[in-house]
Amino acid sequence: MITIEDLSVNFGRTEAVRHVSLEIPDGEILGVVGESGSGKSVTALTLMGLVSAEATVTSGRILYDDVVLQEAGKPRDKALYRRYQGAQMSMVFQEPMTSLNPTQRVGRQVEEMLRLHSLPAAGAAHGTAQGRVDFQAPIEGRLRLYYSQQERQAMKQLVLETFAAVGLRDPERVYGCYPHQLSGGMRQRVMIAMAIILHPRLIVADEPTTALDVTVQNQIMDLLREINEKQRSAMLFITHDLNLARRICHRIAVMKDGRVVEIGTPEEIIEHPREDYTRNLIEAVPGRMKRQRRSAGISREPVVTVRDLQVYYQDGSNSLFSRGKKNHVVRDAGFEIRKGEILGLVGESGCGKTSLSKAILGMNKEITGEIEHFSSRPQMIFQDPYSSLNPSKTVGWLLEEPLRARGKLDPGQAMTAADMRSAAMEMLETVGLTEGYYDRRPSQLSGGQRQRISIGQALITRPGLVIADEPVSALDVTIQAQIMELMRRLQEEMGLSYLFISHDINVIYQMSDRIMVMKEGKIVEIGETEEVFAHPREEYTRQLLRES
Amino acid sequence: MKKGSGIKWNKYLVAGLCMTGLVVLLAVLGIFWTPYSTTTMSAGERFAAPSLQHIFGTDNFGRDIFSRVMKGIGTTILISTLVVAISGAAGILIGALTGYFGGIVDEIVMRIIDALNGFPSILLALVVISVMGTGQRNLVISLGIVFMPSFIRIVRSEFIRLRDADYISRARLMGVGRARILFVHILPNIFSTFWVSVMIGFNNAILAESGMSYLGIGVQPPQASLGKMLSDAQGYLTTAPWYALAPGLTIVWIVLGFSLLSEGIQRLSR
Repeated sequence: MITIEDLSVNFGRTEAVRHVSLEIPDGEILGVVGESGSGKSVTALTLMGLVSAEATVTSGRILYDDVVLQEAGKPRDKALYRRYQGAQMSMVFQEPMTSLNPTQRVGRQVEEMLRLHSLPAAGAAHGTAQGRVDFQAPIEGRLRLYYSQQERQAMKQLVLETFAAVGLRDPERVYGCYPHQLSGGMRQRVMIAMAIILHPRLIVADEPTTALDVTVQNQIMDLLREINEKQRSAMLFITHDLNLARRICHRIAVMKDGRVVEIGTPEEIIEHPREDYTRNLIEAVPGRMKRQRRSAGISREPVVTVRDLQVYYQDGSNSLFSRGKKNHVVRDAGFEIRKGEILGLVGESGCGKTSLSKAILGMNKEITGEIEHFSSRPQMIFQDPYSSLNPSKTVGWLLEEPLRARGKLDPGQAMTAADMRSAAMEMLETVGLTEGYYDRRPSQLSGGQRQRISIGQALITRPGLVIADEPVSALDVTIQAQIMELMRRLQEEMGLSYLFISHDINVIYQMSDRIMVMKEGKIVEIGETEEVFAHPREEYTRQLLRES
Repeated sequence: MKKGSGIKWNKYLVAGLCMTGLVVLLAVLGIFWTPYSTTTMSAGERFAAPSLQHIFGTDNFGRDIFSRVMKGIGTTILISTLVVAISGAAGILIGALTGYFGGIVDEIVMRIIDALNGFPSILLALVVISVMGTGQRNLVISLGIVFMPSFIRIVRSEFIRLRDADYISRARLMGVGRARILFVHILPNIFSTFWVSVMIGFNNAILAESGMSYLGIGVQPPQASLGKMLSDAQGYLTTAPWYALAPGLTIVWIVLGFSLLSEGIQRLSR
């Protein structure tokens, strides 16, 4: 059993974790749910001994059975930790691309776990599901230079078997691949293989599915549950998504501002939440039940029509002497977006959603077909609020820049500095911020606030069409709900049209009047939201609906 | 970076500012006044060890080393500043255009730069000098050319990184003009990276100037420069070590000061 007793962690003067006590008995999946900044990741990293050096443990301790791993007032015992990290406690991170070394074959990277901690004992190669691999660290975690042919074969064998156990088809091929040659889901499976190969007693999974598509997300969740059942390893499952936690956890702890505010079984938490905060979290999750309205005043006129659109992209190898190969990313797209409607576009990553939207915006040159606009300059709201605002400018400047640009293009619409300033101030109010934000810089804002500025920047020139590419995917659930509400309100007030792109079918359901489903570059289904949800025509749509 | 507007002072910045401030002060003072004339020789005072009269001692012609260091700092800093200004400005212009637009011009410019990088920089400067002749102006021009490639490369790679950033795509969607995107939207964001390379370039320019003068193809006598003084001093290293130590340590001081300053400024913009 792993026990966290009264743990507090400070970063300088900020208290990241305050008096958290958690027990993780063998074989249990404990979910830790909370918004970003609630201290859930810091708790996990402290438990794993991976938290950065600026953090100090100010109270409490962490126990592994009765071994004290960490205690307030004592420096972290790195040598002690090294014996537990990986072998007894392992971790799966959120972003599999950055947690794998891009220059090494993945098989080799998983094998390193064995080289660092223990070589497979005789017969252990067949023991993926049973028994623990003997824990015999080779000379205090130092890598040996030479391994015999047999040892090497045994190690490879064990890696291949673990690959098979985590559902990687063709383990032999995956073994020799570099991370970039694998898909996101496969990379996450490799990470999981790395985490379970030594049969640790505890697996810490920090948002392991957030970076993945819904279908892949479901597979990974199933896999985690399966591992838990087979290996009886305990799991600390960290997520911002209460729905996910409900699906696999035996108990759920809700964290807020560094404290555990509520802990209990999923039923207790979801059916009878004691705290308002938990209730908010549950309600903010987009679901099927919550669609309240349709856009009023959708007219027959289109703001944009797309006919027979093909989008290509050039392969990366575009050099002086050779042009890259052309790849088809969108095929035969034809649809229209009407004035005053929200058209939802749903599909997995890589299905061509973004390429399609860029083509509509004229940002993609490699297209054939016809795109006809009936409104002035469509604008775009991006997914990542951190990269879509110029960090060197103030909020006021950012809001005024579209007006300046329009004034340059069309002197008839040029505005005086004072007018632009008041327009920016007005827009700040409109998106739910105060005038005090005018002089701030993006780095001083939270993700939700940035996304508000981003929306304001897109809307300040009153475009007819706004393309929103996953505008809420990078945000916490509660913020997500606020931003969706804001976007809806503005759409109504300004009579806008949105092309609303998301991989989350529940978000799409809540937002859109009509839905368009894309798969592998093709639009497979398009229709009224209710219609598509009630009677999906395509198998693929049905699958999407089932899986969320 | 306005002063007084909530700058978070850090120790690098303070130390760097103090060190460079002192150097600049000496250099400016040296333009108008030095304790002794820097050119008047006095046979009676050859190789006087550091004392209250001559705090850095005197050289083989009996000239006051402190006075010559003051003048020398001025020369060296002036040359280095001009070199960095020329190569930095060219770097921004060429780097921005090639980085943002790419294509065939970019390829050609990059291959030329590869060719330039194929030569050791001092050798390249030597070639330019031998074509154009010695002298302070030609020294500046030749070092300017030699330093250009690194600036172009740094600016170019930053522009390549940022040209596809979401906020730049967004500026394009707004209909912002190309020149404005380049120099108003992107340029301020490469400031911190560029500033570091300016500081490193500045230090290298000081060393390069000293090196060139040491080889005798930089500043011509009787003008003082730190490098020239070093080269003059090398024959007397054992008999009058202060002669070499004074300009040598001054170079170390300047380079260290600027390094600290650049580190401080970098931390500022974080």
